Amino acid sequence: MFPIRRVAALLFAAAALTACGNDSSTAPTVTPVLGASATALSSSAVKLTFNSKAGDTGYTIERAEGAAGAFGLVGTVAAPSTAGAVSYTDANLKVSTAYRYRIITVRGSSTSVASAEISVTTLAFGSAAAEIATDITANRTLYADTTYTLKGFIHVANGATLTIQPGTTIKGDFNTLGSSLMVLRGAKIQAVGTAEAPIVFTSSRLAGQRQAGDWGGLIIVGNAPINRSGSVEIEGSGTDGQAVVGGKNYQVLYSGGTTVTDNSGELKYVRVEFAGFAPSLNNELNTFTFAAVGSGTRLSYLNAVNGLDDSFEFFGGAADLSYAVAYEGEDDQFDMSEGFQGRLQFLISYKSTNIPIRTGAGSYASDLQGIENDGCNGSGCDLGFDTAPLTTPVVANFTLIGPASQTITGAGGGYGLMLRRGTGGYYVNGVLARYPAAGISVRDVATYARAGSTAIPDLAAADLAVKNVFIAETPNAFQAATATQNVFDLAGNGITHSAATTAASLFTTLPATGAVPSGASAFDFTPAAGSAIATGGLATFTGKLATKAGTAVTGTSYLGAAAPGGVKWWQGWTNYVRN
Amino acid sequence: MTRPLRSLIACACVAVVAAPLALSAQVRHGRIVGRVIDASTGLGLSDVGVQVVGTTLGTSSGVDGRFAIAKIDAGTVTIHLRRIGFTPKTITGLMLDPGQALEQNVALEAATLRLTAQVVTAASERGTVSEALDRQRNSNGVVSAVTAEQIQKSPDGNAAQAVQRVSGVTVQDGKYVFVRGLGERYTTSSLNGTRMPSPEPEKRVVPLDLFPAGLLQSITTTKTFTPDQPGDFSGAQVDIKTREFPAARTYSAQFGSGYAAGATGRALSLAQGVGGERLALVGSKRALPQLLREVGNFQGLNLSHGDKNLLVSQFRNAWSPQAATGAPNVSGSFAVGGDDPILFGHRLGYLFSGTLSQSVDVKNDQVRALADRGTVKGSTNEIDRFTGETTAQSVLWGGLANLSTMAGRHSRLFLNAIYNRSADNSTRIERGSFENEGIEARIQRMQYVERAVRSTQLGAEHAVGESHAFDWVLSDAQVRRSEPDRSEFVQQVERDTPTSPEAFRWLSTGNGGAVRTFSQLDESSREARANYQFTFGPAGAQHRLKAGGLLRQTDRDADTRAFSISAPGATNEVRELRPEQIFDGRFATSQSRVFDIAPLSQGGSYGARDRLAAAYLMGEWTATERLKLVGGARAEWDRLDVDAVSTLGSPIATAKRWNDILPSLAVTLTLPRDQQLRLSASRTLARPEYRELSPIKSRDVLNGDDVQGNDQLERTRVVNLDVRWEWYPHASEVLSLAVFHKTFDQPIERVYRAAGSGTRTVFYTNARRAENLGVELEARKSLAFIADAFSSLQVFTNVTVMQSRIELPSNTQASATNLKRRMVGQAPYVLNSGLTWVSQSGAASATVLFNQVGDRIDAAGDAPLPDVIERTRRVLDLSLRVPISGALSARFDAKNLLDAPYRTTQGTVTRESYRVGRVVQAGLSWRP
Repeated sequence: MFPIRRVAALLFAAAALTACGNDSSTAPTVTPVLGASATALSSSAVKLTFNSKAGDTGYTIERAEGAAGAFGLVGTVAAPSTAGAVSYTDANLKVSTAYRYRIITVRGSSTSVASAEISVTTLAFGSAAAEIATDITANRTLYADTTYTLKGFIHVANGATLTIQPGTTIKGDFNTLGSSLMVLRGAKIQAVGTAEAPIVFTSSRLAGQRQAGDWGGLIIVGNAPINRSGSVEIEGSGTDGQAVVGGKNYQVLYSGGTTVTDNSGELKYVRVEFAGFAPSLNNELNTFTFAAVGSGTRLSYLNAVNGLDDSFEFFGGAADLSYAVAYEGEDDQFDMSEGFQGRLQFLISYKSTNIPIRTGAGSYASDLQGIENDGCNGSGCDLGFDTAPLTTPVVANFTLIGPASQTITGAGGGYGLMLRRGTGGYYVNGVLARYPAAGISVRDVATYARAGSTAIPDLAAADLAVKNVFIAETPNAFQAATATQNVFDLAGNGITHSAATTAASLFTTLPATGAVPSGASAFDFTPAAGSAIATGGLATFTGKLATKAGTAVTGTSYLGAAAPGGVKWWQGWTNYVRN
Repeated sequence: MTRPLRSLIACACVAVVAAPLALSAQVRHGRIVGRVIDASTGLGLSDVGVQVVGTTLGTSSGVDGRFAIAKIDAGTVTIHLRRIGFTPKTITGLMLDPGQALEQNVALEAATLRLTAQVVTAASERGTVSEALDRQRNSNGVVSAVTAEQIQKSPDGNAAQAVQRVSGVTVQDGKYVFVRGLGERYTTSSLNGTRMPSPEPEKRVVPLDLFPAGLLQSITTTKTFTPDQPGDFSGAQVDIKTREFPAARTYSAQFGSGYAAGATGRALSLAQGVGGERLALVGSKRALPQLLREVGNFQGLNLSHGDKNLLVSQFRNAWSPQAATGAPNVSGSFAVGGDDPILFGHRLGYLFSGTLSQSVDVKNDQVRALADRGTVKGSTNEIDRFTGETTAQSVLWGGLANLSTMAGRHSRLFLNAIYNRSADNSTRIERGSFENEGIEARIQRMQYVERAVRSTQLGAEHAVGESHAFDWVLSDAQVRRSEPDRSEFVQQVERDTPTSPEAFRWLSTGNGGAVRTFSQLDESSREARANYQFTFGPAGAQHRLKAGGLLRQTDRDADTRAFSISAPGATNEVRELRPEQIFDGRFATSQSRVFDIAPLSQGGSYGARDRLAAAYLMGEWTATERLKLVGGARAEWDRLDVDAVSTLGSPIATAKRWNDILPSLAVTLTLPRDQQLRLSASRTLARPEYRELSPIKSRDVLNGDDVQGNDQLERTRVVNLDVRWEWYPHASEVLSLAVFHKTFDQPIERVYRAAGSGTRTVFYTNARRAENLGVELEARKSLAFIADAFSSLQVFTNVTVMQSRIELPSNTQASATNLKRRMVGQAPYVLNSGLTWVSQSGAASATVLFNQVGDRIDAAGDAPLPDVIERTRRVLDLSLRVPISGALSARFDAKNLLDAPYRTTQGTVTRESYRVGRVVQAGLSWRP
């Protein structure tokens, strides 16, 4: 028996070595459907769509009425033999009624927990709904009597013009991740609303359930220059590859533009709400993205509400903007970079809290600022921070209200005006309030050099100047001077810093720090009677500021976005909800 | 038991540690085993008559030239070998001890080359067999080898360290092999001839540090293509051969311990373990919590604060390292092998070997930084500089079982099984600043990486008559890379007033402040291959026809998930707590509204299926005594599918079908005075790695970049030209000079694509073309020519000097600084030198080894930044072997004596720099 024992031992040893690699794995569990969507087909029917998973047997559909109704079984649907799209139509519903649905996956004798709830409201009598699921490659008009839902990454391409009637509502589909509208180079958008009938882009979710990042946002790509060489793509684009497929998130480049006066159309009285989904990590879309948009494009009366990334971001280009309101954006309220040349006047931002983010859509910024302007950053900045054209906007009559707490702005945030990486520009007649870090940061030597490396920049020569700004309820006027950071002279630049002056005392009506605003009536940005900002403006522009401002921006005797006793231009078309 | 079965057991080359051990039963007799080779080709010769002179004992050599004669009376023995067409040879002076199995390999020369019979002594015949050089000399192509004997004399602990002694080889990160300056993608790795699957998620490479030196017989680097090799060979094929069994029962054991300056005995911050890490057998405590697995990428879910708290509380509350003292390095190994009649009296060759090593490594003076663009074009400014230290506790263990037996006189069956496992449990603590946020920060990262390789091969060699040979192998291999539960915790360093003390506060906003990552990759590969060889023509000038085929299927499954925990709105009181306090549950009650959690690695998982079929036909034609031609072609059919799901949930499948015909021709000219001239031309290819073909964008959480593949990628076709002159003045001496040139059509390059806000994405693109031209010099010389006193000294060196040029298309979307430059990874030169002293008996030896690699491009520059350069580093190692008494001998190794820093630079910025410290180790070997 001796040899047999030896053989057995040898074989056992060999088998043991061979078997070592087979580590155990965890048993699968039945998981609920993810990413189901619901669409109101009419005043009485709703269609649910979702994707099945291999191995599923079927699905149980449950429905509840209103925000608080109890769920009950409405039907079942079998899983297709190969994994794919499943739809279920629920009819005989009440008109203009909100319903919630949920789906339970059945796999043999096992069932999953219920899926996330999907909300939908049946249509009103006489109204229509339409989906936009493929790219718009020919001229098209969207009508005010129809509610449109963007499903996917919808590009206006091929030189088409998209015209949107006043009062039209366009929803970004919550369930088609990242749904957005991108107006590509050569195409145009004509979205001209009125104060009474603004054009609204918003989340497809029910009011009260909406969150920052519910959908993508509005992106316009023009043909004006930027200061980065090489190929540069829209942040967050291209997650579906480079091949151009309608409705998919293909790569969109905005570099290489040549026409400063390029025209991408007009946006007027347009509100964009709950945007900012991140198609890939840290690449949140902005509420309004203007990439290489030329000066022929007209932008006025725009309202960004509860966006996850920046409210208004300009990547190069030369578009002018007047009358803009950024409300509760989760990163910078206004962001200009890459050689932006536009002129901005009458800007309001109000930031007081962290609006809840859609789960999985992205995260709060760690450096939220009022205005964050960069000279040049990233590849293709051939001369680093000195790469031409320098970012030199004119930013006039701004009223920027911060959250007064660095726990909201993040560790690197909390500045009203963050000027970095060699940016230039003229920042005049503004009000900064409730910034927890400082009013202004001149972050690096290259940026200070734009001002002529002097504490009182000379408008005749300097590419950077901050003039006639009132800083209230903010601990420091400037981020402290160090080897790389510099400060401007206060008096010599007409800058007033009064930490003791409250923001509320400057304006006619303003919610207290941390208070939940009651609605539009809680905001009146007109200087309060006797307010320090009613006067002290730079009324006459000179030197390079005057040249740059041209006729687009003129001086004012007051500071901030509203003239004492003037038109309350923000009223009637802006929104101040939180969900 | 029949006599042939008993007597014709095959045997391989003697394993390194082999020493004969007396078998107790048969005290009067001994055994002689060995292998007969054709002196001109190095191939085994079958049907050679082997006779013990003065006895009736004899046999004829079997498959692969192996023979064994048993029951020979102990004493001084002479054997005689003869075969038609070859000059007979008599070996005298074989000293056979009772119970001993003596190994004697013999080379026969063709009768046309030498007419008179030869009589040589056993000692001198043995001296002609210098395995590495023989392999080099007799192969059809350009081959370099490191053998167990050489590894034994070096301080090298694993295959990656050993292979860098080969000419033209550079080793990156202590793991990845670059041959002739071509990137990893141009080098394939195999184990006993079978392709190894890759455990790396973003690459298709085999980290060679997974193979302990104690299990190795040889590492062969083949640099020219012949049709019987895989077609995606373009730079080199590295074949790791595991040890085979010795002729007689052998036991050996080794133990060693080392002192690492900078690690051993120092107070260090070491990673926490939760059981099993010390043996690379991690437990379930590091597994991805089931709840997080189920919520997937969170899309479509509405999580309440209670849900988020529940998810956050699922993670192990471990974020900080522990203070501990660095333990000394230890290693041990054992082997038992032999060739005994244990299979019902049938002889079975066997080798079982196991090895284990543990070490603590410290990267001292660690600096990393990024380069930003300066205001003069191409100039650089340093940003995001962090300094700190990385400590790692590493373990590597493995074992192999090799079995082999003869089935009949003409067939040899073998089964090889190998299993290796390694783990690195590391901690990195660093402090610096972030330019973008304008803050100072302290980062602590704990990372645990486990790798395992398992391979089983079953095969046989059959000889049918003198002219037909057939062999086949079935193999199954599996690799796994598992990185369970990596943690990162970032604190902001703040001062409330310029004079107040520093406060360390959690960076609780953004998505990088507290991150847990779970990553696993499994790749399995099954392969079947068979070769048939027909030999004809006169002995010594034989021709061969060879045909064969291969079927291989490779499947890969990569899964990476990462989660970021933040606390928007957390107060300084919360942020100042230690991480273990923050996450101890006090903020995770159902009422708490502190935490937020988000998934990070959306789209980081993919699967790949690769099906390859190949067939070849090649011929070796001995035109004259001096001229040999080898030519043929290989056809390969590849079906490659990569499936992934994009961030947004849509499945994206990439399918590639590539059919190729790869011709090759090699000419070997035998020149007078032991010189050879080789010329070779061939076409080969390089296919994209799996991840590179998937067009989804994902965060490479292991390296921190966004990565996107390209489904438009084409395979690279390579034309190789090689010329090599070799001179073998004496046994174990060589001088050779080689020139090589490669032209790449559509080589694949890793580039950056730029996006708004200064962000970027790693992307892959086909460059237009590339060229690589180089010269290799190899010399190995005994110093006996100076004086007899120096006869035990041997000096060797190999130098490769090369240059390459790659051209990117001008319409590329890559943000490349240089459209024309050197290929990434290519060093302008690689130098290896050494001096070895071996005592007369061979028992004591001393070796000095020197290695230097020129500046090479680590990553291409992102416009207009210059390329990232890994700087030249000089390495000097010393190694000493001394017999103590009897079976016991001692070894002393000193590694990294110069302690030159690793350093990569970009312009004026040091991107990364650290020192690993000197290591001194001593050990004992016992070989009875």
